[in-house]
Amino acid sequence: MMTANYVALATVIFFIGAAGVVVRRNPLIMLMSIELMWNAANLLFLAFARAWYNNAGHIFAFLVITVAAAEAAIGLAIVVVVFRSRTNVDVDEVAILKG
Amino acid sequence: MVLVLIALPLLAGSLLLLLPQNDRRWSRSTGCIVAAITFVLPLAAGGSGSFSAHWLSRPFAASFDFAWNGVSLWLVLLLALCTFCAILATNMVQARTMIALLLLLEASMMGLFTARDVLLFALFWDVMLLPPFFALLWWGPERKTAWRFIIYNFSGGLLLLLATAAFGVLSGSTDVIGSTHQFAGAWAPWIFAGFAIAFAVKTPLWPLHTWMPATYADLPPPMVSVISAVQSKAGLYGFIVIALPFLRIAMIQWSALFVALALVSLLYGALIALTQSDIKRIVAYSSLSHLGLIVLAIFCFNAIAVQGAIAYIVAHGLFSASLFLILGYVEEREETRSIAHLGGLGKSNPKLAGAFTIAALAALGLPGLAGFVGEIVILTGVFRAGYFWPALIALVPIVLASAYMLRLLQDTINGPEVAALPKRRDLTVLEGLAVAPLLVALFVLGVYPAMIWR
Amino acid sequence: MMLLVIWLLPLLGAIVNFAFGPQLKRSAGIIGSALVGVSLIATLAEWAPATTGAGATLGVRQHLFAWMPGFDFGLLLDPLSLIWTLIITGVGFLILLYSIGYMWSDEAIARFFAYMDLFVFAMLTLVLSDNFVGLLVGWGLVGLASYFLIGFWFFKPTAVAAARKAFVINVVGDVAIMFAIFIMFAKIGSLSFSAVFAHVPMLDGWLFWTCTFLFIGAAAKSAQIPLHTWLPDAMEGPTPVSALIHAATMVTAGVYLVARCWPLWNASHEAQLLVGTTGAVTALAAAVLGIAQWDIKRILAYSTMSQIGYMIMGVGVTAYQAGVAHFFAHAFFKACLFLGAGIVIHELADEQDIRRMGGMRARTPVAFWAMFAAVLAISGVPLFSGFFSKDQIIYGALAHGHPWMYAAGIVTAGITTFYMFRLFFVTFFGTYRGDLNPADVGVEHPEEPTSHEPQHGATHPPAWIMALPVAILGVFSVIAGYVMIGSNSPWSRFFRPVFGFEKLPPVAISEIWTSVIVLVCVAIGFAVAYWRYATPEALADAPARLRAETHRMPRVLVRLYYFDDLIDLIVVKPAQALGTFFGRLFDPMVIDGAVRGVVSLSDAAAERIRDWQDGLLRVYALVVVAGAMCFAIYYALQGAAR
Repeated sequence: MMTANYVALATVIFFIGAAGVVVRRNPLIMLMSIELMWNAANLLFLAFARAWYNNAGHIFAFLVITVAAAEAAIGLAIVVVVFRSRTNVDVDEVAILKG
Repeated sequence: MVLVLIALPLLAGSLLLLLPQNDRRWSRSTGCIVAAITFVLPLAAGGSGSFSAHWLSRPFAASFDFAWNGVSLWLVLLLALCTFCAILATNMVQARTMIALLLLLEASMMGLFTARDVLLFALFWDVMLLPPFFALLWWGPERKTAWRFIIYNFSGGLLLLLATAAFGVLSGSTDVIGSTHQFAGAWAPWIFAGFAIAFAVKTPLWPLHTWMPATYADLPPPMVSVISAVQSKAGLYGFIVIALPFLRIAMIQWSALFVALALVSLLYGALIALTQSDIKRIVAYSSLSHLGLIVLAIFCFNAIAVQGAIAYIVAHGLFSASLFLILGYVEEREETRSIAHLGGLGKSNPKLAGAFTIAALAALGLPGLAGFVGEIVILTGVFRAGYFWPALIALVPIVLASAYMLRLLQDTINGPEVAALPKRRDLTVLEGLAVAPLLVALFVLGVYPAMIWR
Repeated sequence: MMLLVIWLLPLLGAIVNFAFGPQLKRSAGIIGSALVGVSLIATLAEWAPATTGAGATLGVRQHLFAWMPGFDFGLLLDPLSLIWTLIITGVGFLILLYSIGYMWSDEAIARFFAYMDLFVFAMLTLVLSDNFVGLLVGWGLVGLASYFLIGFWFFKPTAVAAARKAFVINVVGDVAIMFAIFIMFAKIGSLSFSAVFAHVPMLDGWLFWTCTFLFIGAAAKSAQIPLHTWLPDAMEGPTPVSALIHAATMVTAGVYLVARCWPLWNASHEAQLLVGTTGAVTALAAAVLGIAQWDIKRILAYSTMSQIGYMIMGVGVTAYQAGVAHFFAHAFFKACLFLGAGIVIHELADEQDIRRMGGMRARTPVAFWAMFAAVLAISGVPLFSGFFSKDQIIYGALAHGHPWMYAAGIVTAGITTFYMFRLFFVTFFGTYRGDLNPADVGVEHPEEPTSHEPQHGATHPPAWIMALPVAILGVFSVIAGYVMIGSNSPWSRFFRPVFGFEKLPPVAISEIWTSVIVLVCVAIGFAVAYWRYATPEALADAPARLRAETHRMPRVLVRLYYFDDLIDLIVVKPAQALGTFFGRLFDPMVIDGAVRGVVSLSDAAAERIRDWQDGLLRVYALVVVAGAMCFAIYYALQGAAR
């Protein structure tokens, strides 16, 4: 019963994050939305770890945090590099990498 | 022990590429020493000494498993000898890079020929395509040829990888080369087709050959001599050590097609070689013809024919390596590859003419030189296996071979001298030393071929 | 052991001359010929052991080494190979001696002797081998030596072309023998002579094909129709080469092959007919061509073809020892003719056209007398060697039931006499015509003599070195036949262990009457030649008559029965056309076109699909989310269904 609540909350957080990525045009907001999705996943890991008395979930949560940090670092670096030469901050403007 | 064969040239090649040292002599002697070690080592070890380490257990078992024996020992020796001669003959401005590429090529193909695991085989297969690709890119007159070569051969390599994966998943292990258990089932013909197309592209077999003439013509002589002598044997080696032991049933199903393709290659290559005007293309098309004979031997499923195929693999390696090196010398002296503008070289270059004559005679199957042994043993086996007409048809290209090889030889070294060019110096000691081992080996194996089958 | 000495000494000569040629200069000739001379002595020393024994123990055997899977390489010297070895080393030695003089002023004399010794070695490999593969190796190597020697003056385009032609046609023969080897190995499982001949019945249905393919090889080597066109062209080589290779030894390898494989031929009547017919046709056709030639060496080349036709006819009708006898006699008189012609050619600074000769009797007396003996021998005049051997063959054809081969043989004998005396009279009688305007004697395109690069002012060879071999060969042309007289001659006793004793059935025309008929033909041939070329009026009017004869010559003979044109039309041209078509059109257009088709197809597809990649990050994200949603919904539905 408890677990179902956690799953519901995680689902909501995840979709807020996904919507943020799709809807917002500010790269910083997009990165933050991605963090939201990571955390939704983390929440699930912890919830199920608790429900099933299995510590693997905790370990994975730490792994996810690490990976998320790395991803954020790279993402921010790209954002800084790309927008150093531009006046505004809009991902739709950056569409030169196409077929 | 086996690993030294791969590691040593790999190390030496990478060092040559990375170090700033740019002395031609220094790189040449380093390369020669490395190649000589890789030639002597298998001889000294006498075919013993293998290496094995666990690699994968899922989705199928695979291991780093290397060994040298039987066919692979001969190919390892051929590769080491050809690399040695090619490095010795490297005389260009960028000698260091070329020698490094030759050593990397040797390393990758040593891996290919000693691998006991099909997955390893497939990996080395793709790696061995890179050195000639870069050689084409850096020295070739056209970048297009390089891309053509790499895309055509990688396509084959991709099929090889797919077939290997399917083979591994279905049979549970790819660490199988050297053992003999038949692989059968609904997938067998498809897996064989994957292997066969990859091998046929590399050999090449008609009609998958069109990358070859331009590649052979554009590659610099040292590289092309190794490629045509040894790399073209990778596919044939694959047929012998992978297809024959494991996929024989599928092979028999497809054999009529491959016998037909082999015969077409034989005749087609010979006829085109008869009329080409570029001397390197003549030899390239003659390769198409000669290697068709080996494919014919493999698809007759006769022990004698396969023995002949091994002899002919070695013989073809020796004479095509020496022919390409010699054509390189000719081109260097006359500054043309067009047969119409060549002639009379024998007058001022008797040594070059002598070496050329021996190589050409071996290529046209003169009795007493190694090429003849392969031809006659293969066709004896082919006939014995009941293939009457293929054996008879395969004799026609032998006659044609004498026609185009003599055309190549005589129009280059005989006849009146070309007046427009100044007198050229004859073979230097180094140039002579570079082809001498190949020619001596042709003699020895031609007079006493029994050593191949020992 | 002795066999190895006989076999390898010439090889040693070749190696020494190749390796140290530039240092040796003229002593190359001495080394080259002396080693062959030693080989001859060694052969004579092996005479007794080679002729003793019977059946499987006949002769001397020497095992060498394992060669291929399933069989070993070895040497065998029995009476049959002994005769060949004697001629190869004996006549070979004389010709090599002569060559020292002939090649005196050639810069490349060491290369010449290296090739000659290589040839002797190869020919010995051919006749001494005890198995078919060894024979084939020798067969290929003599072809190679012949190629080198025909093209010896390699700066001369005609010589280069002739060498290539000879080699390629001989490879046709080589691969035919190869095919016969495949049959024998597949059916019998061995390739040694003794094993194959002991199991001839195992060939059953393949026997005729084995014989046919072996004979194609023999025909190519022995210049039998239709594989003969290389031999006249081969006269581009130096004259001693023509004497040794293209007259005395190599071109008779076909006779050796058939004689060696006599158990096969004895078993196949069709094969006998094939070989006998080819021999008879070649004998006659080549003799007719001999009439139409003006080049002294080409006349001799056609006469060689014709005489080998006799030999092939002899062994074809199973008169083996008669065929071999003619080989034996022919080796002497034909070598003598060539070497005599060489002296004449040398004297005239490389002029080879007999219309521009005349009156050579006074200038080259040794050549005159030796060639006189040889001409009588080849014509088959009684007491000269050709008489004994040729009549045996002609009579043998009738005795074995081939009357029309008999007739062809008799007619050929008459024609042979005519063209040989034509050559003899035009060359040696009358007055010298070389200083006349070439057109006056009918020569429209006089050839610039290019064969030599004479170093003027250089030393001259001692005169005897060329005269002595010619004289010795002349003597042998006379006496070589004396061992063949009678039905129980030393010759037939010598070969009885090989071919067995054969008693010919009595036929309508006895041997004596055969000889009489042949002699009548010979007399007619001589009379016509004398009347046309040697009467005092004919000699006085020689230039005009030769010119008239040149213009009246039938075109079919001048074009050599159109064989060259025919081969060009049905073999060479189609092969070149196919090669050009495949190489210029089919390969780049069709096959490579298909490859390029695949390339442009994927190119076109990529052109469409690339638009999907529009670079908008949020669209990509939407697609990812949508895809994930699809999966989620799919699994949710599945879970609900369960």
